Amino acid sequence: MKNLAPIVVMTCRLVLGGVFIYASWDKLMDPAGFAQNIHHYRMVPYALLHPFALFLPMLEMVVGVALILGVHLRGAALLTLLLNVMFIVAISTALVRGLDISCGCFNTDGGHAVGLSLLVRDFLLLLACLPPLLFQRVGPTLSRSQKY
Amino acid sequence: MSRQSFARSGVQALTLLLVAAVLAAAGWALRPDPLPLVADPVAYELELSAPLVETGTALQLFDEGNHFFIDTRPSAGPGVETISGSFVIREKEFADDLLRLMDVLYPEDPVILFGDGNLMGVSNVAARLQERGFTSVQIMRSGLDGWQKAGGALGEAYIPEMPGAPLEES
Repeated sequence: MKNLAPIVVMTCRLVLGGVFIYASWDKLMDPAGFAQNIHHYRMVPYALLHPFALFLPMLEMVVGVALILGVHLRGAALLTLLLNVMFIVAISTALVRGLDISCGCFNTDGGHAVGLSLLVRDFLLLLACLPPLLFQRVGPTLSRSQKY
Repeated sequence: MSRQSFARSGVQALTLLLVAAVLAAAGWALRPDPLPLVADPVAYELELSAPLVETGTALQLFDEGNHFFIDTRPSAGPGVETISGSFVIREKEFADDLLRLMDVLYPEDPVILFGDGNLMGVSNVAARLQERGFTSVQIMRSGLDGWQKAGGALGEAYIPEMPGAPLEES
């Protein structure tokens, strides 16, 4: 069981990192489109809409890279967990309010409509945050303080 | 997780947040067409102002024959199955598609837009039509899939010729 830990942690890191880097790319390229996506959720005030649309994709990119390289691994896993909680709250409230919108998860041009399958996916991603957060001392890392 | 390691995670998270903020600011500053830092509420509200119609109502309006149906799907075009006789105005080819319809579609005409069930692109087209003076713009909520499921007839779009700017087949 102990031998499995590094594999599990590394798999979670690679999957989460890959997903977050992939998710960030289209939004970084088209911040205006992403701002529209965010606006459709009707949760972010106008004053924060554009700064949020500029910052969030960059944060996804940074945590994605950090997870894969193992730099500030715990912090990256913590942020990924918080981001997933935020996505789950946003999708849940959109579902409760009956909003028929695209999720804006991976691209700004249409994409997945908000639905239960997205919630399930985000819950799985949330679970994948736990091994790197709780067992950060296993698996390769570039960070000197986290050698195993 | 001990209290100390939790605190360390917090510091690391703050560091990553700071790095992301600096990179986002740099990316914004270096872009040739940076997004304004303050959003214009008018532009965003206009996009969400078109009322939604349910498929059943849309089918009824289609049978009455007083409304023009407009396909906004990016894949819409010649040879692509859609609501029979509908026009095509796509988000990315908006100006060309609208120009093509200038002799058959007028701002006072009631229009019902539909897409693939996702409201993103169709809302954008609705907003731009409203900006150009169209007074009765509605969006069919469930898109072409919902239309099909409700037993709506499918056929070809009506795409007038426009020399010099041909509509590409997707």
